[in-house]
Amino acid sequence: MQLLRARPWLGTLVEIRVDGLAEADAVAATDAAFAEIATIHRCMSFHEPDSDLARLHRARAGSAVQVDPHTWNVLQTALVFAEESRGCFDPTIAAQLVAWNFLPRPRDSGEPDPAASWSNIELLPESQVRLHRALWIDLGGIAKGYAVDCAIRILRNAGATAGGVNAGGDLAVFGAAAQTVHVRDPRAPQNTLPLLELRDAAVATSAGYFERRRAATGWLGPHVHGKRRGAVGTHSSVSVIAPSCMHADALTKIVLADARIAAKLLPRYGAQVCRYDSQRGWRTLRGE
Amino acid sequence: MQLRWLIPLGAAAALPAYHAAYAVQYLSVEQAQRAAFAQADGFVDVPLALTEAQRRALDQGEAALSISAPKIWQARAGQKNLGWLIVDQVIGKAEAISYALALDADGKIIALDVLEYRETHGAEIRLPAWRKQFLGKTAQYPLRLDNDIRNISGATLSCRHLTDGVRRLVQLYAQVLKPTSG
Repeated sequence: MQLLRARPWLGTLVEIRVDGLAEADAVAATDAAFAEIATIHRCMSFHEPDSDLARLHRARAGSAVQVDPHTWNVLQTALVFAEESRGCFDPTIAAQLVAWNFLPRPRDSGEPDPAASWSNIELLPESQVRLHRALWIDLGGIAKGYAVDCAIRILRNAGATAGGVNAGGDLAVFGAAAQTVHVRDPRAPQNTLPLLELRDAAVATSAGYFERRRAATGWLGPHVHGKRRGAVGTHSSVSVIAPSCMHADALTKIVLADARIAAKLLPRYGAQVCRYDSQRGWRTLRGE
Repeated sequence: MQLRWLIPLGAAAALPAYHAAYAVQYLSVEQAQRAAFAQADGFVDVPLALTEAQRRALDQGEAALSISAPKIWQARAGQKNLGWLIVDQVIGKAEAISYALALDADGKIIALDVLEYRETHGAEIRLPAWRKQFLGKTAQYPLRLDNDIRNISGATLSCRHLTDGVRRLVQLYAQVLKPTSG
């Protein structure tokens, strides 16, 4: 039978679908997948006062903080993307998102150092992390994709023949049949477009037009260029297709920030890109 | 990984679009009961009789607007009370959600599953006439996500008002369901 469930996690509604299991096994498999997502949410939430991120933000600069292996894994990948994108992707852009009211100000934490960046995060052995300057980390650009990958692994290991996980637009599917993926139509966000057919792969979409806001200095949005610290993608939509949802998720932000740098990274992650802007419509981005 | 593009790339031309007002059906009430209480051998209807004062106290949730009284079942294994399953709806600014909250025998939350999600359009939902039309036409008006548009990338489903609803049900437990000591 097919079982489709949804629970509120990661700041959105997470949908999980499994095929090819009896009901009790399908319930157990989706329960386990949701439990994993809940763990990842609790570790990496910017909002929750007990998350690893909140503890890192409260810790004195220079001290080692024990985090969950999930958090360490995601930070490690985030730092690889930060280095490979020459800082276009930077998990320390939370300071801008707090200043623009896209994220709440962390409680009991001092002001972040304006000069801080990803290079001030040091990963230590045995899941410890040291921040060398006061900074705020937001893993919103990568942790949802990681959660999707972890949940998919649990469904596969449970023996499901097909399935899918969709965490607010970061989604992955597996199984023999190709599945159609839709995106919001940037010209009319209440509509959706059939974008592609996919087998055994992940898609992540980042589009700033939905949440953008006009300020005196220009447009503000939920995606920030890691180096310039200005909003990117307030008028475009980017979908990245890759074997890993975590990679797809992070790559959408790099495409929004700097398509030329992104093009060099695509082959390394087996990724393909489809993007939209109002001038040129839908285009792919060729990897170099 | 296998990929086939469905849109004409490089074209800003008109593309086929689906109206995205959709409804998604997740677990049925029976499935939610079995999922939360696998050991139960029966679910007993708990009729909800609220005093006017209790109803007013519960309706003070900020944004959530309940469209009907919650339905409550007690999960039993023989004579033993395993807990409760409460099915309720919230309507917020942009979504109508039917959900099931499972509480154990001590009132602790053990599961929160969304049963049905409908994307709505802002202020329209607050107009009684529009609401009536919407509720009456669920079969033809919204696309069924599980049949027609299963995977939507980049359409964040919002569920902000769910927390208001859950808060209200936890109060409901404390006021009505919680066994009084002695």
